[in-house]
Amino acid sequence: MDDDALIAAVARRDDTALRELFYRHAPWLAARLRGVLPAAEVEDVLQETFLAVWRGAAGYQPQGSAGGWLWGIARRQAALWLRRRGPAELRLPALLAADGGHPGDPAEAALSRADLARAVSALGPEGAPERETWRLMYVEDKSVAEVAELMGVPAGTVKSRAHRARRLMRAALRRHEPMREGGGR
Amino acid sequence: MTGGGDLTGGYQDTGPAPGDVDLDRVWLGVAAQVWRRQPGPAERAAARLLRSPGLARALVTTPSLLLGWVIATVVILLAGVGFTLGTGTPWVALLAPAVAAAGIAYAYGPGIDPAWELSQSMAVSDRMVLLIRALVVFGLNAALGLAASAASGAAAAVTFGWLVPMTAVCALALAAATVTRSPNVGVAAGSAGWVIAVLAGQAAEGRFTAAITDSFFVLPYLAFAACCGAVVLFATRIPRGTS
Amino acid sequence: MNVELTELTRKFGHTRAVAGVTLEAGPGVFGLLGPNGAGKTSLLRMMATVLPPTSGTLRLLGRDPGGYGPRREIRRRLGYLPQNLGYYPGFTVVDFVEYFALLKDMPPGQVPRAVATAIEQVGLGDKARVKLRTLSGGMLRRVGIAQAIVNEPELLLLDEPTAGLDPEQRVAFRALLREFGERATVIVSTHLVEDVAAACSEVTLMDAGRIVFHGTPAELIARGEGHGVGDAPLERGYSAVLAAARS
Repeated sequence: MDDDALIAAVARRDDTALRELFYRHAPWLAARLRGVLPAAEVEDVLQETFLAVWRGAAGYQPQGSAGGWLWGIARRQAALWLRRRGPAELRLPALLAADGGHPGDPAEAALSRADLARAVSALGPEGAPERETWRLMYVEDKSVAEVAELMGVPAGTVKSRAHRARRLMRAALRRHEPMREGGGR
Repeated sequence: MTGGGDLTGGYQDTGPAPGDVDLDRVWLGVAAQVWRRQPGPAERAAARLLRSPGLARALVTTPSLLLGWVIATVVILLAGVGFTLGTGTPWVALLAPAVAAAGIAYAYGPGIDPAWELSQSMAVSDRMVLLIRALVVFGLNAALGLAASAASGAAAAVTFGWLVPMTAVCALALAAATVTRSPNVGVAAGSAGWVIAVLAGQAAEGRFTAAITDSFFVLPYLAFAACCGAVVLFATRIPRGTS
Repeated sequence: MNVELTELTRKFGHTRAVAGVTLEAGPGVFGLLGPNGAGKTSLLRMMATVLPPTSGTLRLLGRDPGGYGPRREIRRRLGYLPQNLGYYPGFTVVDFVEYFALLKDMPPGQVPRAVATAIEQVGLGDKARVKLRTLSGGMLRRVGIAQAIVNEPELLLLDEPTAGLDPEQRVAFRALLREFGERATVIVSTHLVEDVAAACSEVTLMDAGRIVFHGTPAELIARGEGHGVGDAPLERGYSAVLAAARS
């Protein structure tokens, strides 16, 4: 059964479908959460996630983006968990701490960071043209002319690479975007 | 992994679960909540009253306390009310003991419990289960019978008079069912015993209700019930002596 | 020691089903072998506190099952799978396992997780809410095993547990036995000799109500060298011991 059919079955209170869904998706959800949380907390959050799936399967709109929907629930559960623990217990990755404080919710920021890292990796390995262009233009804040000179290519090439980079990242981020809750129920 | 195409492929790129996350344990936590049975209000009340969730569960799964059985009992008693109003003979008082006996025979025991041997090895002893089930079945039948009897406008002596014979007949049914390990034998014994009692009363005193209203029989009934009770206790014992 | 039997005897009328058995068992997996009518089931029933002994002493989990209180304590820590386990057709797998978990006085808060664990351990996770009347014989046997293990018993008694199980399920079952045998006393009565070889650290062979052999599977195999009849070493040991006992 494909994911959409499984989630529809879960909405009809089929617990074997939930079990199938669990063993199909829990591994990668766990891996992704593990980047943000310690192992024991990953287990708790994953449990809450699938209980939320059991309760909320009826709200899923089948558009082939089951993974995004599941990740969205896992994200919310993880953020809930982190918030419940209180600021003193927030275990943020060293990377985030090194970047200095974030405005807004540190918990959400930690998860956004994971999403962003993945979107960047969609640009290719380090040193690939689109990724290097993106890094120079958006991380190091260089102008088109400066990037063209550094990379030894015409300005037009820089612009088209930047455009392609933005397109790739947008696609990657949209793929992981959670379904809106309660949409069209 | 199956998927709907490119859109679903991207997120499986992170590979297998991290080694320090026990997914089987996570699933057990989910399954425990998804599979759990929520007891109904009757069972929850019984668990508090009896101070034993196991005993409460055994009670609500009594075959003769299931809805179908109770409805059948009510129907029979209503028929009895109808006959009584029609003919003047107190049919409710004549039917109620037999109906109760059937309920008791089907409440407990090896004939009715397919997992009988396993039940005998349980911490909640099968004797406790027997006691509680028999009491509740008896009480329910008594209450229904009294209501039907009153509704049929019978005299007070008749309305209450059949409770003692009912005790004796139920005890007989239970003893027979337990000893022979067959609820059907229990029903047969209880019904037959009651029919004999009624006919004997009719032959002796000229009316069907003799077996119910004649206070001469109260002590014999109760003594008989006590004997049957002793038989049941003996049949359900686990002594350390010989079989 | 979880099980201490001294000259345990059980008579039915004039027949001695169990004739003076003396046995001790601590944690581990123990096989109980023997032909039909050897007294294995009666012995197991006595250890399950379902059948009273006629004479001899019986101590289970350090207690005497003759008294109501100790017997109840033993039963809370006991897991038993009878040879013929009936089932309630309208119950689901979860209903059945949960019913007996409650009757074993398990604290209600622990029951849902214990039930889920037991059901997954016997490989019925995808049949949890299916009605028992739709299950095959092998699956029903596994449901029986699940109710026996749900309370994590210290004494686990299994009478012909692998009846109806296919070879793959039997392998999984033996792994389960070994896992339980680390903490508990597991006694498996079977006439499938290979089951015993793979899982048991000690084997007891009964015939006509008596113990005719008690030792390791290797020792039983040794008894069969050059003497016994059978395809497998343990079978040869089995038949050699029986022949010697009956001569």
